[in-house]
Amino acid sequence: MNPAIEVASLRKTFKGRDGTSRAVLKDLDLSVGAGEFLCILGPSGCGKSTLLNVLAGLDKVYEGQARVSAGRVGYLFQEPRLLPWLTAEQNLDFALTGCKVPASRWDELKSRYLAMTGLSEYRDYYPHQISGGMAQRLALVRALCVEPGILLMDEPFSGLDEITARRIRTDLLSIWRETRKTIVFVTHNAYEACFLADRILVMLGGAFRHEMRVPIARPRSYDDPAIFELSRDLIKAFDAEIGREPVPSAIPANEPSLVDDLDRHAAARMNI
Amino acid sequence: MLKLVSFVSAVIIWGLLSLTLPPEIFPGPIETARTLWGEIVKGDLWTDLAMTMLRVVAGLLLALILGVPVGVLMGLNRRAEAVLDVWVMIGLTVPSLCYAIMAFMWFGLNESAAILAIAVTAAPSITINIWEGVKNVDTKLVAMARVFEASRPAIVRRVLMPQIFPYVMASARFGLGIIWKITVLVELIGRPNGVGFKLFYWYQLADMRQVLAWTLLFTIIMLLIELVILKPIERRIFAWRPQVAV
Ligand SMILES: Nc1ncnc2c1ncn2[C@@H]1O[C@H](COP(=O)(O)OP(=O)(O)OP(=O)(O)O)[C@@H](O)[C@H]1O
Ligand SMILES: [Mg+2]
Repeated sequence: MNPAIEVASLRKTFKGRDGTSRAVLKDLDLSVGAGEFLCILGPSGCGKSTLLNVLAGLDKVYEGQARVSAGRVGYLFQEPRLLPWLTAEQNLDFALTGCKVPASRWDELKSRYLAMTGLSEYRDYYPHQISGGMAQRLALVRALCVEPGILLMDEPFSGLDEITARRIRTDLLSIWRETRKTIVFVTHNAYEACFLADRILVMLGGAFRHEMRVPIARPRSYDDPAIFELSRDLIKAFDAEIGREPVPSAIPANEPSLVDDLDRHAAARMNI
Repeated sequence: MLKLVSFVSAVIIWGLLSLTLPPEIFPGPIETARTLWGEIVKGDLWTDLAMTMLRVVAGLLLALILGVPVGVLMGLNRRAEAVLDVWVMIGLTVPSLCYAIMAFMWFGLNESAAILAIAVTAAPSITINIWEGVKNVDTKLVAMARVFEASRPAIVRRVLMPQIFPYVMASARFGLGIIWKITVLVELIGRPNGVGFKLFYWYQLADMRQVLAWTLLFTIIMLLIELVILKPIERRIFAWRPQVAV
């Protein structure tokens, strides 16, 4: 089967104000199979959003190749990016119109995903009338509604409470299983990555530094100890990459929240 | 409610102040209203009012036609911004009286010259508003619209226009404020009718009752336009905005 996304020697540089250019993506090679769930894990500022912008076709100024197979690309931005002058439902309609989804399917799609994210009651609310987490969920609904073959997701659950995030992660997996989408999912959260992904790429300073397959059988349970073990390995590998000693093993195994957030660790170590 | 109270107290303050001077020099609100009513009954006030309104509306339209495209261009293009920046500043600095004099000297004492002078005076401040608005367009929303394959017209209509519209509204309102004043001035120096002409006429006859009556008329019309036309338009267009205490 042809890969859905193929990136070869992708380089992206940004010009600074003083005219110096800074490489943000450094010779990236990436191949994502059709129907694969890939997670990209990396600290803030390592170039994750920049990569997704290239894949979405928004950023066309780069060196190297980036090819995305035919079919619609859905992009869930790091911010909700809702149109403030349209209600929740009108925001969805805006996307459905743009993507030319047949009007006969709108109701079914909207109802389904609004129900999934618990937003059914909020169709007529303007974005300023809903909370930040709700706005993020609405943006997720919008991305799913247009039924993309490839879905790019940039830290979609970082602003949600853990309970809601858990539920939506599970729902996302069932949608993925049903529709066989290819998903590229960017996150700071090692545990989340291990729960969701087929494969995890660790990104640091604009390059992929570590690759890990997730051998856990599906359907997965969020509390599976194997996920926790794996996330700890992942953080160890990550720490090894940034050249510091590994995570202290004193973290109790039944306290996943302690290792939940890769970024906290990274930040703590980098502060030394 | 608060507005009404403030309006009434403005009238009361006017009434109290007018007591300090003889009524021929500073008539009070009642006296002024009576004079105005007399003029209204006589009936020839409508031509002057209509001529002034015509100049205001034509001047505003022309100012928007001149000002908006330049503002958009400056917002979109760095080079245009650098070149036109100075011009806008000059345009803004030259006193409106100079525009009026130049227009009448070069193009004759006619209606087009008057409207041109009005428009040129107001255009720079409109340009500045629009320029600001275009520069502040949220490109992240445009990127979002492109991801969802919105057509170009749809992007302009649903993503760009709503962002620029508040600035157009503000500039129209701002422009209107300038245009009222310059129109009266232009009528005073170069037109045979209109509110400004009448004001000057009565001033020369030292008839303060009439001067204030015309000022009052002018103010009432201005308030009506604000309350009956601009406010409702704004309320409709910006219905989506968070309600700020009115
Ligand atoms: N338009 C731009 N101009 C200049 N530099 C940019 C631009 N966009 C991003 N960068 C730089 O590229 C680097 C990577 O940014 P990017 O947004 O891809 O990070 P990220 O991995 O998504 O981080 P986060 O997890 O915080 O979202 C940053 O150092 C940023 O300063
Ligand atoms: Mg990012």
